[in-house]
Amino acid sequence: MARKELIQIRRDPRSLFIALIMPVMQMAMLGYGVSLDAKHIPLYVYDQEGSQESQALLKRFQASEYFDLVKTVDNYRELTAAVDSDRSKLAVVIPFDFSERLRDANQTNVQVIVDGTDDNTANLATDYARAVIGQFSVDFRTEWLRRQGLPVGGGGTVSIEPRTWFNEDLESRNFIIPGIVALVMALVGALLTSLTISREWERGTMEQLISTPITSQEVMFGKLIPYFAIGLVDAAMCVAIGVWWFDVPFRGTLTSLFATTSLFLIVILGIGFMISVAIKSQLGASQIALLVTLLPTMMLSGFAFPIDQMPPVIRAITYVVYSRYYVTILKAIFLKGVGVRALLAPVMAMAIYAVVIGWMATHAFKKTLD
Amino acid sequence: MAGQDTTASVRVESLVKKFGKFTAVDRVSFATAPGEIFGFLGPNGAGKSTTIRILCGLLRPTSGKAVVAGFDVARQAEEVRQNIGYMSQKFSLYNTLKVVENLRFFAGMYSVPRDLADARIREAIAMAGLAGHEHDLTATLAGGWKQRLALGCSILHRPKVLFLDEPTSGVDPISRRQFWDLIHEMAGGGVTVFVSTHYMDEAEYCNRLALMNRGALVALGTPNELKRHLMKGALLLAKCEPLGPALEILQHNPAVVDAAVFGEALHVTVEDAAAATTSLPGYLAEHGVKCTRLEPIPPSLEDVFVQLTGRRIRAGEVTAS
Amino acid sequence: MFGRIYHLLAKEFIQLRRDKWARLILFLPPIVQMLIFGYAATFEVYHVQTVVLDQDHSQESRELAARFTANGRFELGKPVSDERQIRDAIDRGKATIAIQIHPQFAELLRKGQSAPVQVVLDGTNSNTALIALDYIGQISAVFAQDYQRDYINRVAPRYEQLLPSVGMQERPWYNPDLNSQWFFVPGVVGTLVLVTVMNLTAFAIVVERELGTLEQIMVTPIRPVEFILGKTVPFFLIGLVEVAMVAGFGTLWFEIPFRGNPLVLLLGTSLFLISTLAIGLLISTLCSTQQQAFASGFLFLNPAITLSGFAFPIASMPTVMQWLTYVDPLRYYLVVLRGTFLKGTGMQVLWPQMLAMGLLGAVLLSASVLRFRKSLD
Repeated sequence: MARKELIQIRRDPRSLFIALIMPVMQMAMLGYGVSLDAKHIPLYVYDQEGSQESQALLKRFQASEYFDLVKTVDNYRELTAAVDSDRSKLAVVIPFDFSERLRDANQTNVQVIVDGTDDNTANLATDYARAVIGQFSVDFRTEWLRRQGLPVGGGGTVSIEPRTWFNEDLESRNFIIPGIVALVMALVGALLTSLTISREWERGTMEQLISTPITSQEVMFGKLIPYFAIGLVDAAMCVAIGVWWFDVPFRGTLTSLFATTSLFLIVILGIGFMISVAIKSQLGASQIALLVTLLPTMMLSGFAFPIDQMPPVIRAITYVVYSRYYVTILKAIFLKGVGVRALLAPVMAMAIYAVVIGWMATHAFKKTLD
Repeated sequence: MAGQDTTASVRVESLVKKFGKFTAVDRVSFATAPGEIFGFLGPNGAGKSTTIRILCGLLRPTSGKAVVAGFDVARQAEEVRQNIGYMSQKFSLYNTLKVVENLRFFAGMYSVPRDLADARIREAIAMAGLAGHEHDLTATLAGGWKQRLALGCSILHRPKVLFLDEPTSGVDPISRRQFWDLIHEMAGGGVTVFVSTHYMDEAEYCNRLALMNRGALVALGTPNELKRHLMKGALLLAKCEPLGPALEILQHNPAVVDAAVFGEALHVTVEDAAAATTSLPGYLAEHGVKCTRLEPIPPSLEDVFVQLTGRRIRAGEVTAS
Repeated sequence: MFGRIYHLLAKEFIQLRRDKWARLILFLPPIVQMLIFGYAATFEVYHVQTVVLDQDHSQESRELAARFTANGRFELGKPVSDERQIRDAIDRGKATIAIQIHPQFAELLRKGQSAPVQVVLDGTNSNTALIALDYIGQISAVFAQDYQRDYINRVAPRYEQLLPSVGMQERPWYNPDLNSQWFFVPGVVGTLVLVTVMNLTAFAIVVERELGTLEQIMVTPIRPVEFILGKTVPFFLIGLVEVAMVAGFGTLWFEIPFRGNPLVLLLGTSLFLISTLAIGLLISTLCSTQQQAFASGFLFLNPAITLSGFAFPIASMPTVMQWLTYVDPLRYYLVVLRGTFLKGTGMQVLWPQMLAMGLLGAVLLSASVLRFRKSLD
């Protein structure tokens, strides 16, 4: 039975190609395409004053690695058009009384216009701008104090010494790639399995299979074992690409990776199998599979979007999203290298899921035969 | 009309179709007359379906010429399609459409004028015996009904030539019988009917038969002509024990032209039936084979085919695919 | 010719009406996905789990810690008493950030020196960590400025008013509260339409090929172009309805503004749908089974969505990846969607996107029609 399925997979080289090429593509696309870091923010500048002070401030923006000065303009219209058409993400407007107010009124403001469409980039860009302006302000003040003959360090400063653990350079790639392993498993497992059985129903070959003395467990294992094997190969490929190509650290053990991956595959294949048993239309099966496997893995597992930022109701839902536990484990295995003790809760959750889903899958098929 | 050829309904001249290096149809030539039932007989992969698909304009011939209803299939595909009907072994209908909706859809595809369409749809329903089931979903119909509905769909535009590619595979014998009655009725109305089959009994219903093997046309004629002229000598049925050695021994006897296994018996071709019936039992007994029965039988088309090609028509066929 | 197309269209709609799965795909996943995306897709940083190790126990250190609580971005857990507890909290994921204030903090400040604050970050989620670190920087900078002001006030009161400073006035345009939902909801509209319409088109044709009805139609006098029109027009219309439905639901539910001209969005959607249908058609010519169609569709969707700028800014991708985004129709459609929804921009700004989608659509459509003709042989 498993051999028949393997032969079918081999006869259909496109499926095999997809099963093996999909993880590579997924890794390449997400590894290269996914970056939440904002660098080279296109900057427009409108300096209404053109004084020594205003130019000194603008030089600091030019020196920052986060901003790329695209153009200096001399009217609002051009600035507005640039932000409207995405030519500029952030624009700095220095008012005509900038240095005058700095000298006489002690307090002056710089206007920073930011394209808020993409709130994350906008947030980062404003933060960088605030840092540039803040540093300028501090330096200007120090200079002023020195000229007034007052103690320069008077009162001291607070210096932040960050120590980042697990992902020392704060690379978003290191954060995204472990989750991709889960995404690929969800895809290969659920989608391909859910279609294979529906295909047999649609073509009528299932009736023939049922009429043979084969037991329902044999049908299930025969159908799923090849995909289980493909899933493990895919996981190995994903990890290899992540580690050797994208230089993502791998600090855990391969044993823990494959043990938890096997648990996850049992869950995902079981779900795919149940869908295909319940829904005899290929179109329907594929869509439902997408809804219950890929979508939650992408959105609710913490793969890219942090769970603790979600509203309470959605956060409650994530506890039943099985991929949440797997993603937690994967990130820990890749980046933290912590032992089983720290991961006891998610591993237990996965094990319970595997047992329950495995049991349900073996029983689901029997019912449909009656 | 320009380029129209009215002497024959279908005329094929040294037609060749290659898929890469594989030659599916190898220099096939024949012609049919209006109102003729023309059968293609041969095992799976003999090139029957490929030939039919070329004649319908679904495939382009690699070389050679085919004229259908007066139009060249390679250059006037659209005119050809307006004048032919086609039904494949899958009875390709839309399962989610109702009976009448399928008929209306195909009437629309063939641009049958509205005023004619309604009457013809009624006729088709009557012909298929589906009266009262017009609003059933096609998916719920039994095989024989689906098959007759498919036939109804393919003749709404009153084609001059009808191509049926293994139209009765997977249908029960009674439905097959009814289906052939319909085919005869249509041929009586002047339609040329092309049928490919691997059922021997169906082949007997055809006016003329083309035997195909490995892409080539090996014989052409009426079923009786084929059986009379192509069989050399006479045919004997032999029941022997054990069968395998018996076949080998018989093939070495000079009086035997050919011998082949048919079911649990042997078909033995000999030059002289009377002489062979007396001499062979002794010959077999000499070699330790017991012969329980040996008598002359009329040859079937299968015998003809085996003698011509050395192959069985239905051999190697998966019984339930 | 129009008669045949009419019959094809009629058939297609009857089939859609009877196919409960196709109907379900049209309505259920878009709404569910819109809701999940709307609520779950956020890169905002609030209530970051934080622990503080205050080894100074001075007024200054308590003041700094209080500012973290007041900020609203950080959720302070039980204070910890040694470094081992910091390690434990971060290892177990109980805290993302640990702030360690050293014993001499107040002393150094008073001496006018630089007082170090150590921040331990769980960098696993680099984005959260990065943004949180920025907030910490801001909080301590303001703290230092205020401390300095207090100090000047004490030693030389008349200078306090004169102390110069440069402030920053932020003006986030289009999305003044920097709300993630405003960014994602228009993007989800584009992504959903791409997925649904492309899949339905590819499936609709592959099913006919699998069942043999495609062959049955091809022996009728129909021309390939008529067949393609008959097969794609229904999905074009469905795509328009889908956009209206998803966009309407998204804007009403999440209160997203629509500031542009609906006609501009209609034009952009139409141009985008042409590319989408063409890709579906192209996939159907490459596949003979639904499973293949599904997998190939996915193979296309994955890069198309990743590279579109749907969630990840195109500007931060490597240059080669940025070139690839130019052949992604979704890239242009997202600009049109966000432009019409949030920015209220019109044709004078969006014409390059329209032109690009028009060109891509024309190329893809001719390629798919040519391939479709060939695939019949």
